[in-house]
Amino acid sequence: MSVINVTDGTKARLTLSNVSVDAIPGATNGLEVPLIQDITVTATPGTVRYSTLDSDASSAFTTVNENSVSLNVLVDDAVFFGDGTDADNSVTNEGLFGTSKAKTEVFFTVAFEGTDSGARYLSGKGFIGGLAPTASVDQAVWITPLEIIVNGELTSATVS
Amino acid sequence: MSIRDSLKANVTTAIGSTNFKVSSELPWNSGDQPLNEKNKRVVYFSAEDVTKTQLYRTLDQGDVYSTETVVTAIFSVDAKNLPTDTQTVLDALLAAVDVVDSPQSAEVISEQEIEDDIITYSVEYNFVTI
Repeated sequence: MSVINVTDGTKARLTLSNVSVDAIPGATNGLEVPLIQDITVTATPGTVRYSTLDSDASSAFTTVNENSVSLNVLVDDAVFFGDGTDADNSVTNEGLFGTSKAKTEVFFTVAFEGTDSGARYLSGKGFIGGLAPTASVDQAVWITPLEIIVNGELTSATVS
Repeated sequence: MSIRDSLKANVTTAIGSTNFKVSSELPWNSGDQPLNEKNKRVVYFSAEDVTKTQLYRTLDQGDVYSTETVVTAIFSVDAKNLPTDTQTVLDALLAAVDVVDSPQSAEVISEQEIEDDIITYSVEYNFVTI
């Protein structure tokens, strides 16, 4: 049992691709999103609460899981707008904005322990949204939030 | 070109028609007398004080730094008989704050001090660049 220290810059990684095998952490054609300030994976079961006359506390039951990935990232111009260089990964080609605009479903992984063999990660597929790039003189650089609305379930795995 | 060199070049041009000049030397002490008091009507620029501060740190160590650079210009004149173009030189020094391209912030502060019959003007520039 141990904490996962992310300060060395190699652990927390978000990799995107339109092909599932290329979204695995460290995959050659995967788009590893750079300059992430913070990243959050939300895995929440849907719940319904109800009350009955014979109880002084509400009860709950679960419905379907609702999952998402949210992050804040410094805008890299090639990643945001696409660089048109990767015929195998449309996310690299089109960029985050183009992929979001086209509503292209993407495969993603969130690496917790880097990309070496045995490192743990969460994976899924979904749609890029929530882009809201902002700039100001005080901020000095463009920064945008990003959300991946997960379509389906998250799964955990280890890098082989 | 360093900020100090850019300021020197800008001010040298701006005060070319006055009776002042800009020295390439640092304002060191000649004996126990500062060079600017020994050589009046000569503008000296200090060396740069530089501070780099981490502005953003990302999870992949893609850091963004801001750099603060401080340079001081100093000159002395006879306080009993103030040269008529002293204000022209001061105005030129203040206007030189625009010499740095695209700073995040730029500030210039002018101060003066009289000791015996010498008045010394110091103009401090503070630039923050990304």
